[in-house]
Amino acid sequence: MPKIPIALTINGEPHEVLVEPDRTLLDVLRSDLGLTGTKTNCLDAECGVCTVLVDGLAVNSCLYLAVVATGRAITTIEGLASAGGLHPLQAAFVEHGAVQCGYCIPGMILSAKAYLDEHPHPSELQIREALAGNLCRCTGYQKIVDAVLAAARRMAATAVAS
Amino acid sequence: MSRFEYHEPGSVADAVDLAARFGEEASFLAGGTDLIVQIERGRAAPRHVIGLVRVPGLDGIEANGHLTLGARVTHRAIERTPALAGTLRGLVEGAEVIGGHQVRNVATVGGNLVNASPAADLVPCLVALDADVTLVGPDGERELPVERFLLGPNRTARRPEELLTRVRMPALPARTATAFLKAGRRRAMEISVVCVAARLTLDTSLEHCLQARVALGAVAPTTVRVPAAERALEGQAVGGAAFRRAAEAAQAACRPIDDVRASAAFRQHLVGVLVRRALDRCVERARRAP
Repeated sequence: MPKIPIALTINGEPHEVLVEPDRTLLDVLRSDLGLTGTKTNCLDAECGVCTVLVDGLAVNSCLYLAVVATGRAITTIEGLASAGGLHPLQAAFVEHGAVQCGYCIPGMILSAKAYLDEHPHPSELQIREALAGNLCRCTGYQKIVDAVLAAARRMAATAVAS
Repeated sequence: MSRFEYHEPGSVADAVDLAARFGEEASFLAGGTDLIVQIERGRAAPRHVIGLVRVPGLDGIEANGHLTLGARVTHRAIERTPALAGTLRGLVEGAEVIGGHQVRNVATVGGNLVNASPAADLVPCLVALDADVTLVGPDGERELPVERFLLGPNRTARRPEELLTRVRMPALPARTATAFLKAGRRRAMEISVVCVAARLTLDTSLEHCLQARVALGAVAPTTVRVPAAERALEGQAVGGAAFRRAAEAAQAACRPIDDVRASAAFRQHLVGVLVRRALDRCVERARRAP
């Protein structure tokens, strides 16, 4: 079967790519578009390092066909920082020392972002549940949860101020 | 070279036409969280994948007494539909324990049924609600109780040219409650070691059971309903002896296996514990309901 042209909006920018229909969004992001911030590991929806947002919802891009993403808005970790600096989640991860080897962090931050966008005032337990699909083998999670809590407070305070 | 050709029909009729044309060589794709893993692991090798993503009419939830879930309704949608939070809470409990958010955001009711895992979490909830599936084929549609739809691990009564379009459940009587409980080795991201769905309808005194359903997951080749447990409950005072007899009937009805997650003996023990707890929970909920 010939390649299929697909149109994706990635981090706000339109992209057109020709893909074989059996290729995953993960593979196309990394290999065709050079967006290697999205990581590849278990390919089984267990670890969450491949998490991206599709129309604002966190998905495992390793199990998501690129052709299915046609016409949708994709957010990857590369799309979070702005000209004004790091996203509050990214800044909080740095401040709290939540990053060790770093491999799980893009997925961790995107899962947290999707959750905070819907639930601006989460409890610690809710954050832990929101991150259940993202494994970290370095940190024991405490600093990650602390960072997400701190970012949530800062984002909520900014929302009130503006 | 792509391992399959991809088709994206714009209607149920077109989807069924494609399935009839390609027969066993085709797979329908909804959320993809089972199918893509199977393809990547070599456990499935469809030559044609029929994407349902743009077929209209498959993602509706109708809750007007009876409940209809379109095949493409996601676990996330079940978790977030306020109309399901009361009597149907057992269904929400089955949806919210599957995978992480990333899986629940895309994995569908229809996919969970068609994949026919013996450990599927949503399926016992559907069986406890007397759910029927609708299968649409080239010659029209047919309805089948979920229990008869499931034939074995990864095997269903769906013919290759049929599309599962929706699941329908009858209206529930007053003073009815549902509950779902799951045992795994940890609380999240776990395939069930045992899961139990229960439904009880109480009489006006709130002391006796009028109608009961008990369904078990991960302890037999398919999700199983336990009529003997239901008979032990109906017409009886709730609690104590009746719940114990129902739990024993459920233990007798299950056929668990030893595997990497648990021994058969432990699974059988868990069935008894979880059935009693799920029934207790139903009674609490039915008594608290407005």
